[in-house]
Amino acid sequence: MLDLEKLNEAVIEGNWKAAAAATHAAIAAGVPALTIVSEHLVRAMDEVGRRFECEEYFVPEMLLSARAMKASMEIVRPLLAAAGAQPVGRVVIGTVKGDLHDIGKNLVASMLEGGGFEVIDLGADVAPQRFIEAAAERHANLVALSALLTVTMPSMKTTIDAFQAAGLRGTVKIMVGGAPVTQQYADSIGADGYSDSAGNAVALARKLVAA
Amino acid sequence: MRLKLISCEVLYREMCHACAHSPHQVDLEFLPKGLHDLGGKPMAAKIQEVVDRTPEGMYQAILLGYGLCGNGLDGLEARHTPLVLPRAHDCIALLMGSRERYLAYFDGNPGTYYRSTGWLERGKGLQQLTHNTMGFDESLEAMIGKYGEDNGRYLYEEMNRYQAQYRKLTFIETGLEAAGKFIDEAAAEAGEKGWSFERVPGDLAWLVRLVEGEWTDAEFVVAAPGQCIAASYDATVVKVRT
Repeated sequence: MLDLEKLNEAVIEGNWKAAAAATHAAIAAGVPALTIVSEHLVRAMDEVGRRFECEEYFVPEMLLSARAMKASMEIVRPLLAAAGAQPVGRVVIGTVKGDLHDIGKNLVASMLEGGGFEVIDLGADVAPQRFIEAAAERHANLVALSALLTVTMPSMKTTIDAFQAAGLRGTVKIMVGGAPVTQQYADSIGADGYSDSAGNAVALARKLVAA
Repeated sequence: MRLKLISCEVLYREMCHACAHSPHQVDLEFLPKGLHDLGGKPMAAKIQEVVDRTPEGMYQAILLGYGLCGNGLDGLEARHTPLVLPRAHDCIALLMGSRERYLAYFDGNPGTYYRSTGWLERGKGLQQLTHNTMGFDESLEAMIGKYGEDNGRYLYEEMNRYQAQYRKLTFIETGLEAAGKFIDEAAAEAGEKGWSFERVPGDLAWLVRLVEGEWTDAEFVVAAPGQCIAASYDATVVKVRT
């Protein structure tokens, strides 16, 4: 008897091999790809986010769950494409120009992918122009900016201003985050949203693309 | 004047040197390196505790040996004694002697990891201040022991991959480095991590002005009793909020 909860458990426990095996079993049993993602991967990553919020999970546990989720997604992705499934949203994410910190950004990228988004990860030290080009090429509706130093936070403003100057500000929602970033700062630079953790980022992203 | 200095221990040697030469009597208290890992609000709360312990009427001002430090000084309130904070993003700006010099170097040298006397010798065997940093300084063996061979190795690689994104280690020399040991250690670290190595002369004049009471508005924010220090999100770095 196929127990699909095993897939959820494997992701929550950070066991990528068990997640891959459970995914293959589900596909063999005829479970639709979209169900695997929305009923299992999304729910499992929501639980992982919750545990991070209440400090049961820390960065290592998050990274392991993300690894397990990605192992499952690797298998499911071609089937999703074949079924014509659409992602919840398309998000371009990166750490802003001058800043090399990326672990937090990587966690948010994983959480968004696990949350059903198509994620275009530009890495770290990303110039405003690269965000603009990637968002346009990939028809993104969301841009997520990360910074870990107060000295690189001004690059968030330059990036938002660059979208404005290019006449593209209205084509995307822009969310910001990172340890020194605050709601007040996000408001002052004209960002559409701010989240204070990887766990909250997915809920915010969903709200922004639905608006 | 009688002054109290509450400073990050990363600036230990530099602050002791400056205070020893100050015309004022400065009482020093150093707090652990790494408070910024707690996050802005918790760090500010920790520093507030120390500010609040300061007896009333004993000092003309409380000096803060910090910068904004990731918003760790945002919201700090002056109780009965004024607070004085340099308008610096962090200690690297202080060691370089000015915001402008720091920003110019930072922008011109992307991928630089900064070291100084305190960044090398302070915080070794650092007590884990927060679980936010859990896993970042662990050895491969420790990670394997905790998470198993496969996951342990994966985590070790993921959490140390940042090293490949940095290109240079810059040691900020202040003239207080005893017998070359700091330079040698910094150069060795650069070699181990595959980074280039540069020595840059620091400038302690800003720290000296802090402990000598030369608090111009261009370089320092002064919060009078009842006022709070706040991030300004502009070139002045910090401001006062009533």
